[in-house]
Amino acid sequence: MTSAYRQQSGSLRDLGKRRMNIDKSGADVPTPMRRLRSWLSRPACRSVSLTAASLLIGFGVWQFLSSFVFNPFLIPPPLEVFRTAIPMLKSGEILSDASISMIRVMVGFATGSLAGVVIGVLLGRIRLLHDLLDPIIELLRYLSPTAMIPIAVIWFGIGEMSKYFLIFWGTFFIVLINTTAGVWRAPVARQRAAACLGANRLQIFVLVVVPSAVPYIVTGMRVAMASSFMSIIPAEILAANSGIGYLLQQSSMLLQTNRIFVALLTICVLGFIVDRIFRLVVDKVLARYMSFVSQT
Amino acid sequence: MLRVHNVRKVFESARGSYVALDGVSLTISDGEFVCLLGPSGCGKSTLLNILAGFEPATAGNVVFGDAPVTGAGRERVMFFQDAGSALLPWLSTEENVRFALRVRKMPKADWPAIIDKYLEMVGLDAHRGKFPAELSGGMRQRLQIARGLAVEPDVLLMDEPFAALDALTRRRMHAVLLDIWQRIGKTVVFVTHDIAEAISLADRIAVMSVGPGSVITRLIEIDLPRPRDLTDPQVARLFTQIENLLAPDLIRSDERSDVH
Repeated sequence: MTSAYRQQSGSLRDLGKRRMNIDKSGADVPTPMRRLRSWLSRPACRSVSLTAASLLIGFGVWQFLSSFVFNPFLIPPPLEVFRTAIPMLKSGEILSDASISMIRVMVGFATGSLAGVVIGVLLGRIRLLHDLLDPIIELLRYLSPTAMIPIAVIWFGIGEMSKYFLIFWGTFFIVLINTTAGVWRAPVARQRAAACLGANRLQIFVLVVVPSAVPYIVTGMRVAMASSFMSIIPAEILAANSGIGYLLQQSSMLLQTNRIFVALLTICVLGFIVDRIFRLVVDKVLARYMSFVSQT
Repeated sequence: MLRVHNVRKVFESARGSYVALDGVSLTISDGEFVCLLGPSGCGKSTLLNILAGFEPATAGNVVFGDAPVTGAGRERVMFFQDAGSALLPWLSTEENVRFALRVRKMPKADWPAIIDKYLEMVGLDAHRGKFPAELSGGMRQRLQIARGLAVEPDVLLMDEPFAALDALTRRRMHAVLLDIWQRIGKTVVFVTHDIAEAISLADRIAVMSVGPGSVITRLIEIDLPRPRDLTDPQVARLFTQIENLLAPDLIRSDERSDVH
């Protein structure tokens, strides 16, 4: 990993912007087309308008396919899905299921990340502990949360606790492994330099090694967040009486494909929003820890 | 005074043991600028790590003043080639120096004056708020120097600090380093594989042989005024002399890296 990716994408955008400007050098009479072009050349507007275009195309193709190619019962057209979604939104049905699922994800994710970071840091630092626990971790990490659903239901029932446990399970190993890798890769030169300056072992650990691991920890948490979204749905399908997964399951039993599509769209939107929030928080709070000068 | 007495270093690995240093002795007086010069694989960085206390010698010892060197100590500060990894990238220029003062437990009241002094000395006072990623390679190296000087060490151990810089920046850094050294009068042990660099900087050059079993083959005093012009006949003669001295070893060094 090298220097911040944001700078790179920024400069690429600048390049695009410059090219736009060169295109338009010449007469400076603002025609509507020209105004639109100059508006589009602003990076933020460009990204927003491209996203909107992408969504419009997607929905257009979807509408076309389900109206003219496939059976609209199997693939309900988007307009139909929105028509179904409106009463579900108004009655608060979606909101309540979505928030139940989100709370489960957040509780499991937060506790799993916390435990993963704490134990990961210790394993990264204490060689003996790592060598003792690593074989077990290497075996357990292959047990996906989905594989753990049957036993989780027996242990914790179909209530909240089993969902917390399953999300925790999925998050913990991903964050743990990334944290350990990050702690290991804290540059030796950085630690030695700190030792020369007078830092004791605890200071080197807290002030040098752990901050050096932050990019790895954040990467692990982001992957774990995506995995949490994937695990909550099967957990709710198989063993729950609320949540988006439950909504999917119920609608499927009643052959309500419209409602299934509403639930699927909800998952997409929630995942997207949560990832954006995650990135925003990282950018605001952890930005200074995220840039590498070098990692040799 | 820094005394290296008959230091031997053996690395043990699964493939067997490798004798890196085989009886290196050297005495460095206070305020002296010594370059350890040799081709890659001659154990000069290993020797520097032992001087810093990062690694123990297998046999022999290093004594600084009256005390044997047993670990990293603030009287001997190491400067790494890769300043980017030695610095804390999440701290600004000023905060990196402040970090040093904090772990050094300097009285807080003195911090601003010390920070000003050393950032000014390396010419970074206009870049206090920048992060290492926003600095050029030469500036990063100057920041590493300022940070190391801020804890007021007696010995500066420099491990090819300018090797990764472009030639022009490197020459400028030589001038900066010599200027600082003449002002503060600390001992400098400077590792390099660049003959010209060693000649422009050092009071004394310790030429090391290529490993396994490296030793110091020759100590060369350079009693010429600085700045030294490489086209000066005396300097040029010295350059050729050292080049001839290293030539057989360079061939051996090549052969060694072919094997690996």
